[in-house]
Amino acid sequence: MSIANRKSLLISPELCIGCRGCQTACKSWNQLPGQKTKNTGTVQNPPDLLPNTFNIIRYVEMPSEKDAMRWLFVSRRCMHCGDAGCMKICPAPGALYRTKEGAVAYNKEKCIACKLCVAGCPFDVPRYDEKGKVAKCHLCFDRIAEGLAPACAKTCPTGAIRYGERDALLGEAKKAGYAKVYGEMELEGLGALYAFKDAPKVYGMDEKPAVPESVVFWHKVLKPLAYIGVGGAVAASLLHYVAIGPKKDEEGKKDE
Amino acid sequence: MVKKASAFEIFNHWVLAGSFFVLTASGYAFLFQLEQVGSVFGGFNQMKVIHNWAGVVFSVSLFLTIFHYLPVALRFGSDDISWIIKGGGYLSKKVTVPPQDELNAGQKLYYIVVLVSGIAIAASGLVIWLRPDIADVRKWVLISHLLHNVSFDLMVVAIPVHMYLATLANPGTFRIMVYGTVPVSWARKRHAKWVQRMGF
Repeated sequence: MSIANRKSLLISPELCIGCRGCQTACKSWNQLPGQKTKNTGTVQNPPDLLPNTFNIIRYVEMPSEKDAMRWLFVSRRCMHCGDAGCMKICPAPGALYRTKEGAVAYNKEKCIACKLCVAGCPFDVPRYDEKGKVAKCHLCFDRIAEGLAPACAKTCPTGAIRYGERDALLGEAKKAGYAKVYGEMELEGLGALYAFKDAPKVYGMDEKPAVPESVVFWHKVLKPLAYIGVGGAVAASLLHYVAIGPKKDEEGKKDE
Repeated sequence: MVKKASAFEIFNHWVLAGSFFVLTASGYAFLFQLEQVGSVFGGFNQMKVIHNWAGVVFSVSLFLTIFHYLPVALRFGSDDISWIIKGGGYLSKKVTVPPQDELNAGQKLYYIVVLVSGIAIAASGLVIWLRPDIADVRKWVLISHLLHNVSFDLMVVAIPVHMYLATLANPGTFRIMVYGTVPVSWARKRHAKWVQRMGF
């Protein structure tokens, strides 16, 4: 899809105060139930994404000699990849689809609950509800279709999550001093851009996120082979029948 | 007429073929998101249910073929090697092949291919369907997805060739899977070692 016309999120962990209004606003808009949790020794709660929790703030402690109290709050959610591994692997038409703003949304009715999408996702994002149907951030597809910002971006008090035109957000990030923005080119451009001051791995993100190689191989080689193979076998059989013909049982011909 | 296939062998073969047809049609529909094929099955959700249970039928049927074919298929000798080198006599109108057993070398190889890829496709299909609750399930789903599709590609090449060789290419063969019997003169030409062993 035309990368320039895409809408995106710009997430700036250095601005995040860990208030987790984003987690709550998302649940409020999508009418998702609360999750019973327990204290695991960190304010990160729940520990990871869930079928009823489409985004979380990851709490990353990074003490160093320079700054013994440095900690980072990093939003984790669907990255709305340009080259989406979930869409690639999905066998059900229309179950996962691209909105006109560039988001990867889903239709639970068309989803067949095969649960392949999380295996195709470089970021381990999709989760599954009690019927096995996919559940993840859909960039508030119903809000953005009406020109509103996603609930998380609307609620964020510090501007750590902002929503807007992709090019504009990239320009602002660069102007704010972020030489490189995570997601600018990765996976044909991520819908969720991250303004990192340090290397991505400091924030717990993959340096080189990619759709799993087996899925790429399947898509590029095995899929075409399914048609070429069967077509070739049928064509070779017809060719053989015409060129050489059947094994007849007359004496002195093909059998001893 | 001599008996070459039992009634159960014939029945089981058609159960295998029928389930394979359902699995392949739905398989292509999933692979290429073919909505027309999906609607024949009553939608993609229902097609998944049908695909999975047809897979169970296929797996049981394939298992039962072991009793009919595996012992013969594993008996490989110099006559079989020679058959293969000569291309089974299929690559020219003039080549003759050495005497063959109840299954010729090509049929033995074909069975091994079907058995191995069938086991692979069934096992990988089971992992994708049941999704065991283990820590690195995504890795196993990816391995299974790959194996499932490699086996699929192998089978959609092997089966059309099998169908051609069992019908047009070798007149007198298809009746085995209908009546279970063949003329003894036909059997003497194609499966001489079997005829000798059986004392027909």
